[in-house]
Amino acid sequence: MLWVDKYRPKTLDKVIIHQDVAQNLKKLVTEQDCPHLLFYGPSGSGKKTLIMALLRQMFGASAEKVKVENKNWKVDAGSRTIDLELTTLSSTHHVELNPSDAGFQDRYVVQEIIKEMAKNRPIDTKGKKGFKVLVLNEVDKLSREAQHSLRRTMEKYSASCRLILCCDSSSKVTEAVRSRCLNVRISAPKEDEIVKVLEFIGKKEGLQLPPGFAARIAEKSNRSLRRAILSFETCRVQQYPFTNNQVIPPMDWEEYIFEIASDIMKEQSPKRLFQVRGKLYELLVNCIPPEIVLKRLLYELLKKLDFELKHEVCHWAAYYEHRMRLGQKAIFHIEAFVAKFMSIYKGFLIATFG
Amino acid sequence: MQMKQFCEDFGESFTGFKVPAGFRNGSKELWLDKYTPSSLADLCVHKKKVEEVKVWFEDRISTKKDEHCNHVLLITGQSGVGKSATVHAVASHLGATVCEWNTPTPTIWQEHIHTTNSGLRYMSKLDEFENFVEKIRKYGLIPSSLTREQQKPFIILIDDLPVINGKVSYSRLQCCLHLLVQSVRIPTVILITDYSREDTSDYTSRCWEDLQTFLQSAGACKVSFNPITVNSIAKTLSKICKGEKLRITADQIDVIAKASGGDIRHAITSLQYFCLKSGSIEKRSHKIDYLEDGCSLPFGRDETLSLFHALGKFLHNKRDTENSTASDTESLLIKEDFARLPMKMDAPERVLSQAHGQARPIADFLQENVLDFVHEEAMDDAWVATSYLSDADTLLASLTGVQYKTYVAENIIQSTAASVAVRGVMFGNRHPLSSRWHAIRRPMLWQVDQSLWRNKREMVGQRTAAYNGVNLSDVSIIATEWNPALKWLGPRAFDENNGSISGQIVHNEGYDSMEIDDDDEIEDW
Repeated sequence: MLWVDKYRPKTLDKVIIHQDVAQNLKKLVTEQDCPHLLFYGPSGSGKKTLIMALLRQMFGASAEKVKVENKNWKVDAGSRTIDLELTTLSSTHHVELNPSDAGFQDRYVVQEIIKEMAKNRPIDTKGKKGFKVLVLNEVDKLSREAQHSLRRTMEKYSASCRLILCCDSSSKVTEAVRSRCLNVRISAPKEDEIVKVLEFIGKKEGLQLPPGFAARIAEKSNRSLRRAILSFETCRVQQYPFTNNQVIPPMDWEEYIFEIASDIMKEQSPKRLFQVRGKLYELLVNCIPPEIVLKRLLYELLKKLDFELKHEVCHWAAYYEHRMRLGQKAIFHIEAFVAKFMSIYKGFLIATFG
Repeated sequence: MQMKQFCEDFGESFTGFKVPAGFRNGSKELWLDKYTPSSLADLCVHKKKVEEVKVWFEDRISTKKDEHCNHVLLITGQSGVGKSATVHAVASHLGATVCEWNTPTPTIWQEHIHTTNSGLRYMSKLDEFENFVEKIRKYGLIPSSLTREQQKPFIILIDDLPVINGKVSYSRLQCCLHLLVQSVRIPTVILITDYSREDTSDYTSRCWEDLQTFLQSAGACKVSFNPITVNSIAKTLSKICKGEKLRITADQIDVIAKASGGDIRHAITSLQYFCLKSGSIEKRSHKIDYLEDGCSLPFGRDETLSLFHALGKFLHNKRDTENSTASDTESLLIKEDFARLPMKMDAPERVLSQAHGQARPIADFLQENVLDFVHEEAMDDAWVATSYLSDADTLLASLTGVQYKTYVAENIIQSTAASVAVRGVMFGNRHPLSSRWHAIRRPMLWQVDQSLWRNKREMVGQRTAAYNGVNLSDVSIIATEWNPALKWLGPRAFDENNGSISGQIVHNEGYDSMEIDDDDEIEDW
């Protein structure tokens, strides 16, 4: 088992980071009146961990007995029936799914499947009517239509079903959905908090940590706890005992983006742009989300950039990121950004060096 | 019995419909027949081509038969450029008799059943053609009726070769033609009509192209006719007008000539049709000026372009070298940055409609190929072009997810997006590379999309493994954090999850229908 899973806190009492949030959640659940919840925060901050711990708090250990199913759904949409295949993860008390897997048909998932689940309401041992919890991941990736139908579903079935929504940024969740949920913001852990967790793991594993080593990993982790723990474990695999100048292995796709960035800085021409496109395709094919590619690319480019250009480049990155959200094929927009950057940078080079 | 009765009835009633004899008097005759060129001067085919054909015939007729190894002339060209008219005119000029291979009337299925029932063997057109060639080779032309004009030379004209379908009949025809070219001793002309490039997906028409090259390699001499120029069509039309004593302005003739797309037969028919309405000619005369583009004329050929031809036009972005005076009169003043020289083609939207281009593939193709056509140094141009493509993509995306009640709204967005993409690319590419040969590639994007989809599915499968089976995680997290980490940790850390993604793009066969054949690459024009 990976350390990430091994040292994941199982209960709300055991969490190290976001203890206050955990305690509040515990209080909320013990009072038996659980509203719909919306967890949001950057990736690697512990949303899922908290949700799992919360479910355990609500239903006990049985919440952890889950089974994975690839379910086929037939949704009747007026004139035609739509076949959907979706992976769900369910226990007796909760169901978890990623509705955005269904792509542009996500609104049927939200409408129909949730309805169906809400219908078979569990009855607990004491004969009390219970409720089922539905965990929806990546709510921010849902289309606008799907979010609308989500809103209606929430109202209609709120008696029998609680929703726990989970997403990276609440800005992409419609106001209507947000206002129907208790919003729980899970912030990214601070570096010293990450260090604390790493030291905790180190102690449990019986490792000797040189001073400052954990801090270096934390610094490299971009404030993502998951990443910190994963790279901590890779370091352990690569070299132990740890040394202070040990290389912390970077992610391969980040290396690749670094390479792309230096390509861009070296030459600005349509031909180079074409080569860059090929490399971008490589990233996209491997499912690296285009937003992350663009963000990382901007980050790498800014590192090497002259101060006076930074503002303009950021502006265009934001512009094309927005375009990408509106658009369909991400490559069109990333490429336009790279082209714009090249044109700005080339103009700058000519102006300064002639 | 009843059936027969009916047939008789039908026959009777049919005679009732006999065309009145008086109807086909001179004035009502089709102008096409009436004005068939009889002399070389009447032909509106380019002089050089006519000369070429003439010289060829003269050579063959004047010299003794055994001196030349080939006696076959291949004339190719669009329909209606006067291929057969030229042959006839040249022949009459030289005083030769044209013997056509008359294509037998096609047999329809009922007929075929009838004849086979009565014991006759069915002969395909190809069989008949083979017989014909055989006869010519062995005996030359000795039809009894023609013996009295022995001194006159003959020309054999094969207007339409039998239709072929399938490899077997193709090779038979090829073999047959090969024999013909090798052994025929009488000047023989084979006409092959070039169909527009679009139809090349059709197997048969591709065969015609193969046949042409084959015939040439077998020793046939090839003359290809170009579409007739607007000027010479207009000249011919005005000659006809003079002959018919019609008053039609030069402008109108010009419009008809332009709309015909280099097809003289079509132009003459259009003229006749147009003159039928000559009562309203005054009224529509101003309209014609307005409809200069010929799109909505009641006559005129629909010109079609292949997608690649259209893309080539957009990408090569040919423009006039200087601003013509006409555009100066436009009062709209444009900053120098935004001013472009006039395009050397129709409006892009029109080209698009001729190519039946759909917005999405057009945008994809342009995105894939535009960078090849931008000048090495012109980074700004590349940006402008890509930025417009990004706009077009955004427009197209607004289509998905929403189901429009009417197709109108969808259509408008589609055509706007296509227009933005095309015009954006053309506007952006200020310094196009000097024209050299470029191949247009198939969008890589399609392949990428497919393999992305596959990889995603694979990752969805891995998803449950990531949280040790108690939680589902996002695909993006698996891609960006789990998989890279697992690569370092090795498979021992995670047994279920050894199917790490491969970095290669999967070459999938799914897009075969969209596959571009090599011979569809565009050349420079």
